[in-house]
Amino acid sequence: MALRPIAPLPAGARRRLVLQREFSRLLSPLAIPLIGIALRWVLGYRIEGLQDFRREYRRICLERNGPVMICANHLTMIDSVVIAWALGSPWWYFRHFRTLPWNIPERSIFAATPYMRVLVYALKCLPVERGGNRAEVTEVLTQLTHAVSNCEVALIFPEAGRSRTGRVNPDSAASGVGRIYRSIPDCRVVCVYLRGDHQDDYSDMPARGERFRGSISVAELKTDYRGLRASRDIAHQIAQRLAEMEQEYFDDRQ
Amino acid sequence: MDQTEIFEKVVKILTPYVKNQQALEGVSLATHILDDLKVNSARLVDVVLEFEDAFDIEIDDDDVDKVETVGNAVELIEAKIG
Repeated sequence: MALRPIAPLPAGARRRLVLQREFSRLLSPLAIPLIGIALRWVLGYRIEGLQDFRREYRRICLERNGPVMICANHLTMIDSVVIAWALGSPWWYFRHFRTLPWNIPERSIFAATPYMRVLVYALKCLPVERGGNRAEVTEVLTQLTHAVSNCEVALIFPEAGRSRTGRVNPDSAASGVGRIYRSIPDCRVVCVYLRGDHQDDYSDMPARGERFRGSISVAELKTDYRGLRASRDIAHQIAQRLAEMEQEYFDDRQ
Repeated sequence: MDQTEIFEKVVKILTPYVKNQQALEGVSLATHILDDLKVNSARLVDVVLEFEDAFDIEIDDDDVDKVETVGNAVELIEAKIG
């Protein structure tokens, strides 16, 4: 599969990225355990097979020190937080900070106030306005691509928004995820499917006391297409893999 | 193929993706595809792929980022057709 060359990242943007990562790393020994406590003890969330999830993620990360992109289903506004919690303990992230995923949340929701902007900045988020100024969107995606190509991990929702039907729709996959994948040599895509037992549809928050179940697997991706079609095909394959994991989730529950 | 023909073909391709049908009535080269026509940004690639098929051209990934208005699309296609 032909790679598309990674767009150059201006020196200023590169410096901002490094600064944000180090700021986040500095706060992480405090922020990550606090988030874990909030999820487990304030909101009462539990993850079925938590240790298996974390073991598999550790195995993937330690197997090879290369670029990793996590692609997940998307049902609630805090999915990225729940997924990061599912994948690693505070101690793991403290020792392997690069494996704490970068996120690209919607700016108008997650960075609406100065307080939220600081919070998302500290949590390795690069807010983006979906459908907004193309140059700004491109710069954020380029920053994310550079972070991943430097062996950091990114978390992306291929559907680009919460699944409106409550189910993964491979046809709604945005080709952006394929473009990023094709820009990063040797990038592995880790598919994560996670869903609360009471999550029938999409919502803002999972139910209080929710119990999450799911699975994690490395996707094998290949395409014979070129250019835009290759990006779209890769995005479709990733979303298709998530749809299969979703089917396994529902089959297991029956 | 002249600019008018390309424009008409571009608008025809865009039509099924347009959420703001009113804006479609007054569409011009200056019409913004995302802001005015309210085409979903995630679907823009599908639109561009339809341009490729309709005009028998190949458009690079990065060229998609330059397509903001109907005029941008027409210019890009004109340049590719040569």
